[in-house]
Amino acid sequence: MLKKMLGQFGVDEKRLRLDWVSASEGDRFASIVNDMTEEIRALGPFNRSDGGK
Amino acid sequence: MKKVSIDPITRLEGHGKIEIFLNDNGDVANTYFQIPELRGFEKFCEGRPVEEMPRIVPRICGV
Amino acid sequence: MPKLKLALYWAGACGGCDVAVLDVNEKILDVANLADIVFWPIALDFKYHHVEAMPDKSIDVCLFNGCVRSSEQEHIAKMLRAKSKVLVAFGSCACFGGIPALANFTTRAEIMERAYIEAPSNENPEKTLPQTKVKVAEGEITLPELYENVYTLAQVVPVEYYVPGCPPTVDLILKVVNALATNSLPPVGAVVASEKTLCAECDRKKENKKITRIYRTHEIIPDPSKCLLEQGLLCMGAATRGGCGALCIKANIPCRGCFGPPPGVADQGAKLVSSIASIYETDGKDDIQKMVNEVADPAGTFYRFGMSTSMLRRKHSRKR
Repeated sequence: MLKKMLGQFGVDEKRLRLDWVSASEGDRFASIVNDMTEEIRALGPFNRSDGGK
Repeated sequence: MKKVSIDPITRLEGHGKIEIFLNDNGDVANTYFQIPELRGFEKFCEGRPVEEMPRIVPRICGV
Repeated sequence: MPKLKLALYWAGACGGCDVAVLDVNEKILDVANLADIVFWPIALDFKYHHVEAMPDKSIDVCLFNGCVRSSEQEHIAKMLRAKSKVLVAFGSCACFGGIPALANFTTRAEIMERAYIEAPSNENPEKTLPQTKVKVAEGEITLPELYENVYTLAQVVPVEYYVPGCPPTVDLILKVVNALATNSLPPVGAVVASEKTLCAECDRKKENKKITRIYRTHEIIPDPSKCLLEQGLLCMGAATRGGCGALCIKANIPCRGCFGPPPGVADQGAKLVSSIASIYETDGKDDIQKMVNEVADPAGTFYRFGMSTSMLRRKHSRKR
């Protein structure tokens, strides 16, 4: 639901990800973070457009 | 030309101002009535659930 | 005690808050005994130049309703701030942005386009849009600049008190009047309403906070004795400040959050997403998608009155 709502705010749903990783799943944690980092890099910086009047 | 401003107009709902231009004789050359507000209901209601309209559009005018 | 000097002003407003003050009916005489109203466009003929001429801090209390989204509204907010000892953000628009803050989901350009060009009832073949300065034969006329964003009063000037509500209820208004009359105002920064959520003052039976379906308000006729949220309606009461007497609930319609977030909640919409999602029983990914599909307009429902005070503030466009 947060993704749907963020979409209404112009925030690409790829900028939000939910995963469950246990403390013993080191490799999985690293791979998820790397994946997400690449996704975000491809999307580019988030342009807040509420600056200025 | 001399300009007389009535700003704001009062004792009604809404915002408005009146600019009266007087010529050299002191007669009214022209008068302009302007509305210095816009909220955009006709745009921001688009895409909202229709059953919410009776809860949103009464805020166009609370009087 | 000399009479207080009282001012009331409406910025990006609808007049409802001004009418609410008049709704105190015969108690308006108490207000008249207590105060000289020095500015109130809906009822009295004072002009901006009268306010400009007042010495700073000569107005004892100013009740300012409406959001700020134009240069004129900002200018008058600053003027009234300078002239007033106590400035009150009166009503949901001044406190949180209100309904007009839904304009933060669109842009100034889109609003102007729709209002002045596209709308079916328009007769504007030259596609004329309002300008801040226009040269006419006799001279020049001006209009304020419309801002891209909708702001609360406190985002523009410092504010002493907040009276939420769309509009504030007669009870709250009388509370404010009484505090002024007896010189017993709360500490600065106070919100004149309840310190609890709406649920605390709602009389309905609360049994089991577990739902398997969310209904749009036209899909069911709710049982007037049971909690609306438990019946699957999106009632914002769980994350809305109380103090309104649960008027909407008594009319058998769910709360839409006009009293803003309860104490301790920074972002009302986020809190509502979390509250709704936490009571919805799901059995896997498909169920979650079902729930999401059942909420027709999450942003517009959870931030109905509070876009200006939300963390994200407005819809952000991809391009700069």
